[in-house]
Amino acid sequence: MTTAHMESSIESTGATACENPSRPDATAPMPGPAFIQDLLSEQQQLTAVEQFSRFHAASAEDSESGQYSALLPASPLEPGEQYAFEVDLDRCSGCKACVTACHSLNGLDEDETWRDVGLLQGGTSELPVLQHVTTACHHCLEPACMTACPVDAYEKDPVTGIVKHLDDQCFGCQYCTLACPYDVPKYHKQKGIVRKCDMCSDRLAVGEAPACAQACPQEAITIRKVNRQQVIDESETGQFLPGAPDPHITLPTTTFKTARVLPRNMMPVDYFAVRREHAHWPLVLMLVFTQLSVGAFLVEFALERFLRPELISMIRPAHSMGALFFGLSALAASTFHLGRPHLAYRAIVGLRHSWLSREIVAFGAFAAAGVLYAGASWSIGAVEVRPLWFKALGASVGIAGIAGVFCSIMIYHFTRRELWSGTHTAIRFLLTTALLGVASYWLTLMLLALAGGSDSARLVIEEYGASLCKIQIAIASAKLVFEASLLRHLKSRQNTPLKRSALLMTGELSQFALARFACGLLGGILMPGFLLLHAGEPVSDGEMFLAITSTMMITSCLIGETLERYLFFATVAAPRMPGGVGS
Amino acid sequence: MSVSTKAAETSAPKLRSLLHQRDGQFTRELLLSPGGFGLGKVPESHKPDAVTKMVCGYCSTGCSLNVHLQKGEAVSLTPSRDYPVNLGMACPKGWEALSVLDSKERAFTPIIRRPNGKREATDWDTALTTFVSRVRQIQAEHGNDAVAFLSTGQMPTEEMAFLGALAKFGMGMLHGDGNTRQCMASAVVAYKQAFGFDAPPYTYQDFEESDVIVLVGANLCIAHPIMWERVMRNPHKPEIIVVDPRCTETAMQATQHLRLYPKSDMDLFYGIARILIANDWVDRDFIASSTNGFEEFAEHVEHFTLERVSASTRLPAEQIESLARAIHQGKRVSFWWTMGVNQSYQGVRTAQSLINLALMTGNIGRPGTGANSITGQCNAMGSRLFSNTTSLLGGYDFTNAEHRQHVADQLHIDPARIPSENSQSYDAIMEGILAGRIKALWVICTNPAHSWINQNQALDILDRLDFLVVQDMYSTTETAQLADLLLPAAGWGEKEGTFINSERRIGVLKRVARAPGQALSDFSIFRLVAHYWGCEDLFEEWKTPQDVFEILKRLSANRPCDITGIRDYQMIDECGGIQWPFPQGQGPQKQERRLFEDGRFYHEDERARFLFDEPKPLSEPPSKKFPFILLTGRATASQWHTQTRTAKSAVLRKLYSRDPYVEISPDDAREQGVGPNDWVLIESQRGRVKAKAFITHAVLPGQVFVPMHYSEINKLTDAVFDPHSRQPSYKACAVRLSRSYA
Repeated sequence: MTTAHMESSIESTGATACENPSRPDATAPMPGPAFIQDLLSEQQQLTAVEQFSRFHAASAEDSESGQYSALLPASPLEPGEQYAFEVDLDRCSGCKACVTACHSLNGLDEDETWRDVGLLQGGTSELPVLQHVTTACHHCLEPACMTACPVDAYEKDPVTGIVKHLDDQCFGCQYCTLACPYDVPKYHKQKGIVRKCDMCSDRLAVGEAPACAQACPQEAITIRKVNRQQVIDESETGQFLPGAPDPHITLPTTTFKTARVLPRNMMPVDYFAVRREHAHWPLVLMLVFTQLSVGAFLVEFALERFLRPELISMIRPAHSMGALFFGLSALAASTFHLGRPHLAYRAIVGLRHSWLSREIVAFGAFAAAGVLYAGASWSIGAVEVRPLWFKALGASVGIAGIAGVFCSIMIYHFTRRELWSGTHTAIRFLLTTALLGVASYWLTLMLLALAGGSDSARLVIEEYGASLCKIQIAIASAKLVFEASLLRHLKSRQNTPLKRSALLMTGELSQFALARFACGLLGGILMPGFLLLHAGEPVSDGEMFLAITSTMMITSCLIGETLERYLFFATVAAPRMPGGVGS
Repeated sequence: MSVSTKAAETSAPKLRSLLHQRDGQFTRELLLSPGGFGLGKVPESHKPDAVTKMVCGYCSTGCSLNVHLQKGEAVSLTPSRDYPVNLGMACPKGWEALSVLDSKERAFTPIIRRPNGKREATDWDTALTTFVSRVRQIQAEHGNDAVAFLSTGQMPTEEMAFLGALAKFGMGMLHGDGNTRQCMASAVVAYKQAFGFDAPPYTYQDFEESDVIVLVGANLCIAHPIMWERVMRNPHKPEIIVVDPRCTETAMQATQHLRLYPKSDMDLFYGIARILIANDWVDRDFIASSTNGFEEFAEHVEHFTLERVSASTRLPAEQIESLARAIHQGKRVSFWWTMGVNQSYQGVRTAQSLINLALMTGNIGRPGTGANSITGQCNAMGSRLFSNTTSLLGGYDFTNAEHRQHVADQLHIDPARIPSENSQSYDAIMEGILAGRIKALWVICTNPAHSWINQNQALDILDRLDFLVVQDMYSTTETAQLADLLLPAAGWGEKEGTFINSERRIGVLKRVARAPGQALSDFSIFRLVAHYWGCEDLFEEWKTPQDVFEILKRLSANRPCDITGIRDYQMIDECGGIQWPFPQGQGPQKQERRLFEDGRFYHEDERARFLFDEPKPLSEPPSKKFPFILLTGRATASQWHTQTRTAKSAVLRKLYSRDPYVEISPDDAREQGVGPNDWVLIESQRGRVKAKAFITHAVLPGQVFVPMHYSEINKLTDAVFDPHSRQPSYKACAVRLSRSYA
């Protein structure tokens, strides 16, 4: 037991009588301080062993395997079977001893828990139904955590079916915490890794029941064998547990059994709770900046195709450098999201199944190609006719970038969260790519024209500024309308995931949402609009105007998209098992 | 083998592990290994070198915990399997019992409030000198009884006895009471009056042997999960009847749930008695041989017709008849009650209405029967016998000269030192402070600033004290923060002694953790106070808890709670706890024993008494202005009372709502415009609190429920008391609700 430090609000008076037991005390004949000292040192003696030692030696209890054998399957696993938790709802009384026992018997850290107890309620005033539900990892047939993991830190034991996490392989990307529909893997911030329930496989291996099962006073938790095909068949009905995420996504193996018929209105007590999710700021920045970078390259390629090449080629070296800078910053930002960034290289391990792995590889290729391309554009200079190899290099930048953004989209689509559906995410990510691509090109033009004194840049602004502004306004309008259209779900009668997102946007996170739309309007519509009003005029007539308006346009777009991406993370409705009151 | 080949051999797997690492530091951190001592696997870092059993320090169930030791110091714990109480199980509080000791909110040194109001750490010598001089000064100015103490049901018996003896015999205080007044007083008085001694008659085995279990105002699943374990182990498919206005977890598991109108229990049980008598479903032989007052009782309940009872309880007649029939048909019927009965303005008579049912049907003294009060705190039962507050040490009577002489002889003190009048009860002490009669208060191991009824007034009362001394493990409890002097105490696990559980089982506490800073066991603090007061000659024999246990044994001789047959702590430890009575020379005893098997009770005529009264209406019925009845109670098994300890465990904190909440029926919520999770303002005549709405059918329309663990809830409750037990009526007062937008 460590001794924590004294509460800071209480001042210490320094030397105490106890530190100075022999202090001469002329007035009182009784040696009070000495008595205090005696008692203080006696207090520090641990006496249990000494006083009761005879008893310890004699009383070692028998191994518990016998006592708890009823909680385990009686016969070994047959092919096509695996172990699974079985929860007898009729016995679970909601004491939550399982949570604390799991914590304690597995030596978890201070506030770390691998099991949760939620509460379902329903019925009528005459016949209310309250049902506590204990849940942990469901050791799914198709664990989303395992598929999502970019470093193969998950393994499903071919015999027992236990989904085990390899703590030392994990590099702390936390993608599994987003992928698991049941909120099972828990990120351990101090260690920088995820940890989770392994059904106490070490205990099972020697015939001991898992911690939660041995600790349940009502024997509500047992380990049973399940037939894998039956798990698949049963998932078809979608009835896993009222209020729990759809079982056909990952095929969870836990059985919740009850002899009662649960009423149709059975719902988790936290069903109407709206809670903001983790923002994942490094991911917010990484997504916005990778999309900016990809967009910046793509806009340049597009302009080279459609506009006067002799002008565009003058802009290319500076713009590709800028685009590259944002791309590399994005990748740097993304490593801050890793609990153990020095192991980032392990991401290639999961290429065959993990969209995160693929994203990392795609953006890695994008960055490499980008470096080469940017370097090459400096070295070849402003040539009007690009050599073939240079075109190929550009194409590979574009392809890798598009592939990267596509992987980003798939990462979120894979989680099956409604707000993150493929369509939803694709619209957001692609429009961000386009919007910031155009904005960044405008930034390059403005900087070259005003600071670099580039005539080509001035010409491009004068000649194509109006079109760029119109495109910008069109993209921004489309994006803002799309984002705002989420609010239509507020009218939904059912408390759908998208309604929850909308509720967060108009409730707890309304200030973020307002700021997001304000920035979007300012940078995507108002500022380009101003620029449009003065389109075609010589740059030299309004340098100050150009500088201020473009800077505001670009910053607002960037802040707006960052806020949009923050809301993308914070307002998503994450599926989970039923929670308790106030959870 | 050369070094280079060795390196080459290991380098391939090493390279592979760079990409895919199956093992390493993190994996090792969670390794389990056989713990020995029959524990099964334990985390390797917590592998014990010794294991010792001790009784848990939260509730009165009195579970035993195997404390895992490394070099004598606790590193972990698991519930004991071979202990007759918990049979290998514990609730979350027990599992987390050690983690709450290690908190930065512990009191590490004495803390004194300077004249400028600032709290400062000080040393024990200064603290004790101040304590003694301030108390003496107040006593000199205002009389000895101007200083009072409030004790607890959470300390070992030996410490309670020391405190009671020191305060009353040594320091001349007259008034002292315990927080057990808030939970057990009604049961105590009910038993004393009915049986002649405060004697819960049961053993936990009765839960397993009943065929009808009647639970009144008791939510075992949440308040006593391990007792519920015993119910679930009952092999007789028992009829489980829950009487509770709320649909609790326990009610959910019942075969019959009677959702009666709050505080209409007495009507119900009188009505049941009438049905039993009318059908002659009573045990005439037992009534004749073992009881007094049945005829008068029968006459009294004659008025409680089915119509009347159905109207006052708002229960359908069939439900009432069905309960009566179940009691009649049961071969072994047990009646159990907790705070729903005790915390009432008519708790004593309500408890006795249950005792009456057990007596008239002969359901007492046999396996699976009894009128059984389930206690609250871990050592409320020790406090009831030995705290020297309501009764003189050992269940004796302060007003009886013979008793005083006897106790004085046993303690080798002058009988004149023993007050000849009773202590005032908790509420009277609070009133005494309000009236200016009591100027100083010594609060030990309890938290009245949170727990006392009508909190706004309670805080005002505590504020009027000239000198408030608080002795506690934590410097941050609501009461500790008000203290003029805070004495840092060691907690459960850091000291020795014994507890007595609900079924009268004595269990041992051991010292397995080091108290932080200069915290001392309450026992040592009392020794020091005696020393500084100059009355230590009275306590020459009181050197260790075990010494005091010997004294208590002597005092218990020939009393119903005789424990003279217990050799020492080791014997209690080896026997798996020992239930009282355990008189000397009775030979080996069974591990589970119940009282009254011979049909003889503790009154002089050896007969139990039927006691009854006219039921009273709600003390504060709902009105137009305050249309809801506020129910209070326990919320989760992870919270304990005022949360001084349970709030210190990070894991327990995850298991309950951080915000206070109020259960509201869907009908009422709709009417009040309150949605799920909205903040709601709850107001009574006395105060207002904010809580989050939990809309649920668990409460009936017109009633709302709030958990008692949130500190502000007692701003609402109404300070009315049972006239016999002086127990506060926490469970029902009138409130109004409104949605809070603030």
